[in-house]
Amino acid sequence: MNKKLPILLLISVFIIATCGLIYELISGTLASYLLGDSVTQFSTIIGVYLFSMGVGSWISKYFDKNLLSWFVRIEILVGLVGGTSSSILFLVFESISSFRFVLYALISVTGVLVGLEIPLLMRILKDRFEFKDLVSKVFTFDYIGALIASLVFPLLLIPYLGIVRTSYMFGMLNVAVALIACIGFEHEIKGVKYLKSASIISLAALLAGFIFAEKITSFSESLTYSDTIIFSKSTPYQRIIITKKGRDLRLFLNGNLQFSSVDEYRYHEALIHPVLQALPNAKHVLVMGGGDGLAVREILKYPQIETVTLVDLDKEMTHLFRTNDMLVKLNKRSLLAKKVTVINADAFSWARVQHKTYDAIIIDFPDPSNYSVGKLYTNTFYGIVKHLLNPDGIIVVQSTSPYVAPKSYYTVEKTLQSVGFHTVPYHNYVPSFGEWGYIMAMNMPVYKVPEHYLPGLRFMSKETLEQMLYFPKDMARVQGQVNRLNNQVLVKYFDEEWSNVL
Amino acid sequence: MRSGRMFYSSNNLLKSIGRRSFLLRAGLVTGALLLDGCIKKLSGRKPEYAHIKGKLSGPNATAGHILRDKLPLPDITTQSSIDTLIIGGGISGLSAARWLSKAGHHDFKLLELEDHAGGNAFFGTNKVSSYPLGAHYIPIVNNEDELLVDFLHEHQVITHFDEHSLPFYNEFYLCFDPEERLLINGHWQEGIVPDFGVPDAERKQITRFFELVTKLKNARGKDGKYAFNIPVDESSADEEFRKLDKISFKEYLDSNGFNSTYLLWYLNYCCKDDYGTPAANVSAWAGIHYFASRRGKAANADANAVVTWPEGNGWLMKKLRDGVKEHILTSHMVYDIELSDNGGVSVKVVDLKKQTTSVISAKQLIIASPQFVNQKLLKNIERPGVNYADMHYSPWLIANITVDKLPTAAKGMVLCWDNVAYNTPSVGYVNANQQDVNLIEERKVLTYYLPLCDKEPRMARLAAYTRTYEQWLDIVITEMEQIHPEITPHIEAVEMWLWGHGMISPAVNYIWGDTRKNAQMPIANKIFFAHTDLTGISIFEEAFHHGINAAKQVINTKNAG
Repeated sequence: MNKKLPILLLISVFIIATCGLIYELISGTLASYLLGDSVTQFSTIIGVYLFSMGVGSWISKYFDKNLLSWFVRIEILVGLVGGTSSSILFLVFESISSFRFVLYALISVTGVLVGLEIPLLMRILKDRFEFKDLVSKVFTFDYIGALIASLVFPLLLIPYLGIVRTSYMFGMLNVAVALIACIGFEHEIKGVKYLKSASIISLAALLAGFIFAEKITSFSESLTYSDTIIFSKSTPYQRIIITKKGRDLRLFLNGNLQFSSVDEYRYHEALIHPVLQALPNAKHVLVMGGGDGLAVREILKYPQIETVTLVDLDKEMTHLFRTNDMLVKLNKRSLLAKKVTVINADAFSWARVQHKTYDAIIIDFPDPSNYSVGKLYTNTFYGIVKHLLNPDGIIVVQSTSPYVAPKSYYTVEKTLQSVGFHTVPYHNYVPSFGEWGYIMAMNMPVYKVPEHYLPGLRFMSKETLEQMLYFPKDMARVQGQVNRLNNQVLVKYFDEEWSNVL
Repeated sequence: MRSGRMFYSSNNLLKSIGRRSFLLRAGLVTGALLLDGCIKKLSGRKPEYAHIKGKLSGPNATAGHILRDKLPLPDITTQSSIDTLIIGGGISGLSAARWLSKAGHHDFKLLELEDHAGGNAFFGTNKVSSYPLGAHYIPIVNNEDELLVDFLHEHQVITHFDEHSLPFYNEFYLCFDPEERLLINGHWQEGIVPDFGVPDAERKQITRFFELVTKLKNARGKDGKYAFNIPVDESSADEEFRKLDKISFKEYLDSNGFNSTYLLWYLNYCCKDDYGTPAANVSAWAGIHYFASRRGKAANADANAVVTWPEGNGWLMKKLRDGVKEHILTSHMVYDIELSDNGGVSVKVVDLKKQTTSVISAKQLIIASPQFVNQKLLKNIERPGVNYADMHYSPWLIANITVDKLPTAAKGMVLCWDNVAYNTPSVGYVNANQQDVNLIEERKVLTYYLPLCDKEPRMARLAAYTRTYEQWLDIVITEMEQIHPEITPHIEAVEMWLWGHGMISPAVNYIWGDTRKNAQMPIANKIFFAHTDLTGISIFEEAFHHGINAAKQVINTKNAG
């Protein structure tokens, strides 16, 4: 009765406590990464977690026999559930409708299991050690574990291991406790052999998860992107990454920033409204690229628009922006709207075989940073697009930065002119991009500057466009050649100009 | 006629490889290869190549053997007559057919021994892409070459002419950028002329060489004609330039102080690329012609631009072929030609599919097959002054490699149309999917070109014929692994195509020598010839013009008669 508590046991208590708190922190952090609003997320998660622990403690009284074997089982379960929780959350995040359910279900299960641990352990040990010593030491180590966890988690684990590996690591620790228990109480546990092998298998599985965690969210990417990666996926065409920092949601394609939710309205308003405000009778709009649906969101603000056709190469991309809660919120369900048809195809070959014409064509491709994308900035492509434009229609092309890459920018303009378009270059400042450029192209010789803009726009106005049409001296016209399939000068200019900056 | 010390010595060399020593060496080479083959067969295919699909093919060898070994044929069952008969469905034959048809002469047939027309411009197709099995591009053409410009305009390769009358080439066919890269000193540089890591002194030599050929490009002879032109027969007769045909390109380079290793590699590469053999085996005239004969200007492309298609010149071939489709009889092999007493030509033909033979009597005959074949066909007809031994044909292996991904170890330029590695046996590979407008498609067909010029042509050909598919895999993949380490698991299929007589090589004194001149001579105003080996330079443009010339000769004879 007065045997001293073995140090191994105390270490186990310490581990159990640390793991318990770590799982809670992981869930809270993940939820705030993925869903935003960290106060709410942490608050509800701590609440649900503590409540579930309470439920666990309450259930513990129903465990009467084979306490030790139950304890080992629970440890293995906690290890598996907790260890894989972050991977599961990352994987289901894409189909966001079930995400919250999965999140709280996981938290509840983990909470219940963790809630069971200490009461069971106390009951196992109560007849072997002096009770007051037991209570004092178990709770001391429990709270020390909590302290250590709360310090180590933000300072060491997240920056160096990343969230996925952290959960696998603590999962392994939990299972290790199960294994220790199996060894320490070998003669008292029923079916000890079975439990031992179960814990070894679980350990191996978690270790595998730990090693291959990079496949789920790349550790190297967590270092490249200053913000937290909440989604990453390699599609046949590109690597899609979404990061989040506070309220700022960012989309990267192959490492290039596509938008920041904080200022994307500046970009998308500038891309769409100078065109559509000048075309009060526009009914049919074609968008090429822009699979995020943000340009479409702006287009749908005009009630007279009857159809929007979006052509984006990447099915995964448009799927993501049609199903993910957070992203659907950002594009205001634009890709789910009735007026919108999404076509997943290669813009060049698609456009080559089209006959239908459009009143406005929005060309929102990634920058011409390689020869593949460069083809979509050639005179041949613009010649094809010209056939898809109604005589009084307008095209707009996102055309990289006239400040950083003026030669590239004016090459796009020159290329558009080479197929017989009249062009109107303009630019604005988008904080996350810098100074950015667009070029309108049309068959008509004159662009009539719109007098009014839709109410409720945050950036565009008559005065704003006036400023945007003016190019200061440091963005003056630079002469380049026409970008052709057989010279691809734009890719070379772009590479030269941006390599000076990056 | 055979003057000049240089020529004399090289001719001596040729003589010294007499029949006996040839047989002895051939025996040794074959023996060694068969032994090697047996060992390989026993050990089977390398396990790392087990997943690779494909086979070894080439021109119809059985047909060739019927000709060469005079195998017995069934008795002649049918007889027919026709106005004009064309033998050979390569570019020359098809071009002749097109011209006859354009001129309103429709009573003709074209006999092709293969089961398809096309010759060197033939191509293959798999589920990823079409790909060339031989010729794969043409440079933009000389603007004064009206016949060719017209043909290209007819098929929208040239879409229109700008205000300066410069041809505007179809931008889907002009080779997409990036065009060429060279793996040199562990780095992919843009362009094939060596530059990366090349010492200054050698660079200066390279510059000097290009200055020289640029000067020659615009040089004209005393007769006012360009020194080097396409078609070759449009070149100046000025002895100042023609004498360059009497020395080898290698000798010319030596005597002009060009000794840079990098430059010589490049020039050897060029000779191998166009003539299938290194600079030592071609005449200086031919070597310079490669650089100095193209003056084409386009409204929308650089002077050195090329036009190409996934199936290579197969695209042009189809345009020629489809216009005269109803005249073509494939799997029809001519095995004897005789001048008949009634004033025509009597041609014995075997239908390889039906295994029947027939006689066709034609008023005129255009022979658009290579001279090494004609030698057998015309065994009973004298061709004065034609020495078939003067004609050397280089064997080639073409491997079309389908990859699901192209691993790249070396830094620098990304995948181009033409990709060459410094100091490797092949002349590199071409991306058959270059003209694809779609974005990143990782699966590609790469057409790898290997001129078999490490031995003299007869020997190399013999060696090539004995190699198995597995042995070719070993040769091709070893080099591809050197260029792209770890490529083997990404190779899905390799289709090998062996050209025993890939192309004529313009040896010393061939282009302006007697044999070529005499081989162009019609026989009895009834038999006319069309083939690039009558030029010594195996390019589309030559074949195209040879075909037209032969057709014109036929028409003129008719009109005269």
